[in-house]
Amino acid sequence: MKGKLKYLPAILVVVLIVAFFIWRYAFRESGMNVSSEKPDYALTSSGLLQSFEADENAANALYLDKILLVSGTVESVSSDSLGISVYLKEGDAVAGVICSFEKESIDTVLIRTGIQVNVKGICTGYLMDVVLNKCSLETEAK
Amino acid sequence: MKSGILILALLGIFQIQNAQKLVSKNTHVWFYSHTPMEDIEAHNRQAVSILDPATGELGFNLLVKSFEFKIALMQEHFNENYMESDKYPKAAFKGKITNNAAVDYKKDGVYPAEVTGDLTIHNVTKSITTQGTIEVKGAAVTARAEFIVKPSDYGIAIPAVVENKIAKEVKVTVDGTYASN
Repeated sequence: MKGKLKYLPAILVVVLIVAFFIWRYAFRESGMNVSSEKPDYALTSSGLLQSFEADENAANALYLDKILLVSGTVESVSSDSLGISVYLKEGDAVAGVICSFEKESIDTVLIRTGIQVNVKGICTGYLMDVVLNKCSLETEAK
Repeated sequence: MKSGILILALLGIFQIQNAQKLVSKNTHVWFYSHTPMEDIEAHNRQAVSILDPATGELGFNLLVKSFEFKIALMQEHFNENYMESDKYPKAAFKGKITNNAAVDYKKDGVYPAEVTGDLTIHNVTKSITTQGTIEVKGAAVTARAEFIVKPSDYGIAIPAVVENKIAKEVKVTVDGTYASN
């Protein structure tokens, strides 16, 4: 009996630690870690678009849920009560890459049409354009 | 001279085509599940919508993975267990504003809109009818609607463990502002 009790505090500590990590895992907020994480792929907006246009299923298998670092030219910026959307498009292309940012997460004065940017975000797929979610700006615009 | 007329004619056709359809690439679609145990909401602000003011034809397309939840684990369960978004990455609506003639896209105002069409979620298509509004404000047209989706109708099985946390009827809200394209 005594022998068993001896380990009780240690077991309690282990249980508490495990419970803490389960709690942390279950209630972690989504998308908090994208900006600090390394991208899985780095590519240009036109290259990304081309791979989706060529074979959507293959591109989905490769890029869905992955963190992509995409470089491209800003075509337009729009913001509303929900957040900021930066549209990357090259020249005469009919489609591009839509990047969604959190509200007030970037300075929309600096991000303007025509400049080159590097955007990191999670790829959620392809509709009319390739869509990146939970984006962050990787380097300051020049 | 002839080619000039041809070019003018082509330009005219092009303009008419341009004026035909309204496109929104940042339509906001969100859903709300209420139970006494838990309230869950998720937002997707990257849905694409196309509205043809001439015919009232209306379409929505969205990526299931674009729904954002506050809690990451919920988002993972939603994608992996319920919506199976790797297998079925998109959800869509294709339908019509049945009282489109009553909407004056050239005059400011909020018009009630009756919408009916096919909703595809989780690779299951059901026909739905709902009430919404079309708001015209200058050049901007905004479509809004609310409707109820029953997960069970779309072959989405909710495990018994979380049965009390996920509503049997989920309220979906759609809000899209169009730019003429």
